[in-house]
Amino acid sequence: MLIQEELSVQEKLEILSDAAKYDVACTSSGVDRKGKAGTLGNAAACGICHSFSADGRCISLLKILFTNQCIYDCKYCINRCSNDVVRTAFTPEEVCQLTIQFYRRNYIEGLFLSSGILHSANYTMDLIYQTLKKLREEYHFHGYIHVKAIPGADPVLIEKTGFLADRMSINLELPTADGLKKLAPGKSRSKILTPMKQIQKGITANRYELMEYKKAPSFVPAGQSTQMIVGATGENDFQMMMVAEALYQNYDLKRVFYSAFVPVNQDSSLPALPGGPPLLREHRLYQADWLMRFYGFQAGELLSEDRPNFNVFLDPKCDWALRHLEIFPVEVNRADYYTLLRVPGMGVKSVKRIIAARRNGPLDFDALKKIGVVLKRALYFITCSGRMMYPIKIEEDFITSHLLGEEQKKVWDIGSSGTFRQLSLFDDMNVPALTDLRGVRL
Amino acid sequence: MKTVYLCENSVEGILSGVYAAWTSRKGHANVKLGLIGDEDTMELFCQYEEVPVNAGHADKVVRAIREKISEEAYIVVYKAALSKERDRGDKIYRFLIYGFHLGAKVVHMLQVPEVFEIFQMCRNIDNETHLLTGFVRFVEMEGDLLVSRIGPKNDVLVLLAPHFMDRLSGENWVIYDENRKKAVMHPALRPWFLVDLISSEWEERMKKASDEDEYEALFQCFRKSISIKERTNPVCQRNHMPLRYRAYMPEFSHGLKDS
Repeated sequence: MLIQEELSVQEKLEILSDAAKYDVACTSSGVDRKGKAGTLGNAAACGICHSFSADGRCISLLKILFTNQCIYDCKYCINRCSNDVVRTAFTPEEVCQLTIQFYRRNYIEGLFLSSGILHSANYTMDLIYQTLKKLREEYHFHGYIHVKAIPGADPVLIEKTGFLADRMSINLELPTADGLKKLAPGKSRSKILTPMKQIQKGITANRYELMEYKKAPSFVPAGQSTQMIVGATGENDFQMMMVAEALYQNYDLKRVFYSAFVPVNQDSSLPALPGGPPLLREHRLYQADWLMRFYGFQAGELLSEDRPNFNVFLDPKCDWALRHLEIFPVEVNRADYYTLLRVPGMGVKSVKRIIAARRNGPLDFDALKKIGVVLKRALYFITCSGRMMYPIKIEEDFITSHLLGEEQKKVWDIGSSGTFRQLSLFDDMNVPALTDLRGVRL
Repeated sequence: MKTVYLCENSVEGILSGVYAAWTSRKGHANVKLGLIGDEDTMELFCQYEEVPVNAGHADKVVRAIREKISEEAYIVVYKAALSKERDRGDKIYRFLIYGFHLGAKVVHMLQVPEVFEIFQMCRNIDNETHLLTGFVRFVEMEGDLLVSRIGPKNDVLVLLAPHFMDRLSGENWVIYDENRKKAVMHPALRPWFLVDLISSEWEERMKKASDEDEYEALFQCFRKSISIKERTNPVCQRNHMPLRYRAYMPEFSHGLKDS
């Protein structure tokens, strides 16, 4: 492996940010920290996006690898050791300078530091630790730092790093042990889950400590996250969701990210994906992920062994509602928070506003629209003071055909960007062909 | 006959207008609030009256809102007064009628059109402020001075300043609002203040400094290499970062779109 030392900072930045771009986690949320007089930086719990790249993803952190040299040979990764790419590494000094100078100009919200494995897991983790220490203690940087824990590194190193970072993450990459064995021969399930457990325990212990001593240093205050690749191996959506649910419940993860597989290497064990990365599938997984984290859904409710994949044409919530028409329509002026949350077209914000507003008098459809409810989806499932918006049959086929027309354009936009197709009278103009025919026959 | 009270375009000015209209005892239906310098067509059968800014009157209104409605309502009214909405004065007046009648619960009553208007104005200004906390770009000039230029629709400077004061407390920085020709100045380790800026001389200096800044080039290169070609999605990008913000960002100096 030839390490390029003489590159300029710009060339290094180009190589090492290019290598880090497949990591999805670029959030800066989860921790509120006031600035300290005379020093640089604070953190906002809502997270702040500073720019958006051409692919529409936010840029909130300076997302770089410390080095793109790696001893592992993961099939999907551009930095696998058998690939012939230019290898380079930052020095801790360079990383600190870049972070501070970008931060002062308000280009970024903080640093996201990941790394290929140089020599050994411990060696790499120590390099990361030294960098963070320099940034926090020498440069007095108080902004957001997201750092990768290297699987297989010494627990002491991980703990020390955790006290300097805001968020730590370890990528699960593939949801099943088989997939991991096939595509990432250097990694194993236990190697990934052990540090994850350690960080979880550290966070819990730290929480108790903070309760007693307010001045205690905080350990990974913004929680930990992980990432799974979608579509590199044969797992179905149900398996992905079950793994994600288990991670949320057993490891207290803040976020699980899903990354549509982009083939960067040619390998016989990788899928070909002629239609581009599975973006629609990734989109559905994120929708379901939100349903689990904020809407009180369980993975088992959305999917099952018999129906292991998400409906391509309908979003998971509409799909669920159509299979449970027995609980609809719901009375907006009386239903409780969790029932309202399950109505398609209503989100956390609009439901909270409904609850606050209806205390002072009944709501009608006009008020719901102002509050932010998406009526074109919700109108099939709600009543206001006992009335529906239009006379609607609560019948699966009828509602499906009406919901489909609206969703189909979105599906098309996500699934096949940049291509063209024949216009279809029935699909695009939302002519309910099937229902009409049936009506005639009856 | 209807009376239109023309108030000055500032939070204090609008609140003075509210005081004048309310205490005129002409009845809520017979008064209206307008802004001085607004190019609205004048109404027939109306009498126009200019209200001078009166800090004492404005203060009385503020105290009444805080005591009789709620602290939250005061924040809402303050933000609405900074809004881009042209008849914000009158909307605030109509909101306050309900506010003094109903008390603290008024801010949640979105089914009332007058409340909803105010809610919408606040939402708009909050969203713009939040986006700008990310989209403000500083250019480093000689003498460690960070300067930034923005062109917001709402008057967000006062809402932006506390965020940057907390974040960049040890830096000298200036944020200049191009549309309203005023700026927030922050000397290191001292509180910020508002000033009116009309001279355009420093704009050229800022451009020159921006050309020389090496980190700007680095950030441009970072932005380019971080995007995944297979996922290119300009519509999504535009939804999150509307074009109107990009004119003030150095990474789009070559054009408003990523090629």
